[in-house]
Amino acid sequence: MSGKKRKLMKVYPIEENCISCRYCEVACTMVHSKSKDPVKAYKLENLLPRATVEVKGAVSLSLMCRHCKHPFCFDSCISGAIQVDEKGQVHLDEEKCVGCWNCVLVCPFGAAHPYIREEKRHSFKCDLCGDRGFPACVEACPNKALVYDYER
Amino acid sequence: MKYVIVGNSAAAVGCITGIRKVDKESPITVISYETSCYSKPMIADVLVDIPQEKLIYRDEKFFEENNVELILGQKAVKVNTDSKAVVLDSNELVPYDKLLISTGGKPFIPPIPGIEKRGVFTFTELASAFAFKNYLKEKGAEEVVVIGSGFIGLEVAYFLRELGIKVKVVELLNRVLGRAMDERGSEIVESLMREKGVEFIFGNTVEEVLGDKEVSSVRLKSGETIKADAVVVAIGVRPNTELAETAGMKINQGIVTSDRMETSVENIYAAGDCIECLDITDGKRKPIPLFPLAFEQGFVAGLNMAGKRMKYLGGIPLNSLKFLPVPVLNAGTVSPPDNSYEVIVNDQFDKRGYYRKAVIKDNRLVGFVAIGEIDRVGILTNLIRQKIDVSDFKERLVSLDFGLVDLPKWWREEKLKEDRTAYKDWRAV
Repeated sequence: MSGKKRKLMKVYPIEENCISCRYCEVACTMVHSKSKDPVKAYKLENLLPRATVEVKGAVSLSLMCRHCKHPFCFDSCISGAIQVDEKGQVHLDEEKCVGCWNCVLVCPFGAAHPYIREEKRHSFKCDLCGDRGFPACVEACPNKALVYDYER
Repeated sequence: MKYVIVGNSAAAVGCITGIRKVDKESPITVISYETSCYSKPMIADVLVDIPQEKLIYRDEKFFEENNVELILGQKAVKVNTDSKAVVLDSNELVPYDKLLISTGGKPFIPPIPGIEKRGVFTFTELASAFAFKNYLKEKGAEEVVVIGSGFIGLEVAYFLRELGIKVKVVELLNRVLGRAMDERGSEIVESLMREKGVEFIFGNTVEEVLGDKEVSSVRLKSGETIKADAVVVAIGVRPNTELAETAGMKINQGIVTSDRMETSVENIYAAGDCIECLDITDGKRKPIPLFPLAFEQGFVAGLNMAGKRMKYLGGIPLNSLKFLPVPVLNAGTVSPPDNSYEVIVNDQFDKRGYYRKAVIKDNRLVGFVAIGEIDRVGILTNLIRQKIDVSDFKERLVSLDFGLVDLPKWWREEKLKEDRTAYKDWRAV
């Protein structure tokens, strides 16, 4: 709010470089799995990617949580599962989430997704690979269509 | 600077968040007659025994970290604008420099004979939800009548079925969610509710609550009498303006505020279900009692109270039925009031389990319904908010793979490349 730049690193998509290979989606699902295996993660663990590759004609891009300077998901979260840390990163606690879908309803980027499988219902989104220190999607991208950079 | 907030729900927490963006130091005091900061939209979950800790919206740590003093279990009864102090029911005075009134809504209770009997409940407070649950147990209740088929009424009815209690919902209109949902959406929701065993009585209303001191049945307008071990009144909430009235501020349907959430009385701001909010889909000011809007209004109020000038973007009516197995979302105008609107429908509910609808006016999206498949519909909500011209891609609005690639390139440049995602960046284009 003070107009100063936040010291937050985010993943920025560059649509001109995207070749819609979906390596980012696969890498995302894999690193968030128990098995750390891309096929098992998708087939057995029923995991979904937090990055979404969109394609329309010649245009494609990979899109994930923007960690907005004003996150509407945070405003709308009724359970307190969504919190913003001092750097500005937006966190979603899947255990605390009650699956009200308000964040899905208000995210301008469509980056908060619903997970609906039998009794398990919660939202999920990009966590910037906090556990591993560097976003897997950026590593996996073969054409620099995703870059990890300080907030603009 | 001393900030005081009356109320302790979404708008209050939004206000604390807003103040602390600007002013990290000055003390904040929160006054509430309730005893914890719980999540209002989650109180019906009490019926299905949600763990207590899940109900907490912000714990004590949040208030400590933000240097907020809590005065709980005491009611603010008056604002003395001359001495700039809030008067508590204990006669204690709490002085303020900037005050937020976020006193929320109160349930509308129709003047039906017998409505004061024991066994009639509303659902806007945690205490009343617990009282209802205990009453059901105490009476060994088998049948409950719910008056009203809005979001709260449906949710309570659904959870009562989980408890194995017979439920009849009495609704004045001829369909559920009549004011919020379109006809097809209502039909789908009704069928999901009936699958759960909820019964509906449409085009009817409760004319009298019968029983000695406790409710035993209700008499309908149609003349029929139906058994009721308890009654839930869920026909909406009205702004609670009791405290605001003592300050002599301007009130219409709710407290009147400026774009900066200031009331007509100096140094007093208001946010949440107690105010009249600008509905950006029709430009009218009206109460829109919704959690996300309350938080955002509180946030904007907090910024302004702390000296950062910021205008509220305006509200969009939006809802999510969180209790149904099938997700049901809607935003904005879903039933066009006249033929100046264009409607695009993708109804695959019977075959594939989803329904999408977009409502367009003057090449701008003004509302949508998404049932079954809801991923990424927030993009649509933002199209409503930013009033972006959708004429080039309007047929795509109801497709499941609608995405940012469908939006104008300048939008992606601005939001993705330049990262213009601060509050002010989301105004209409």
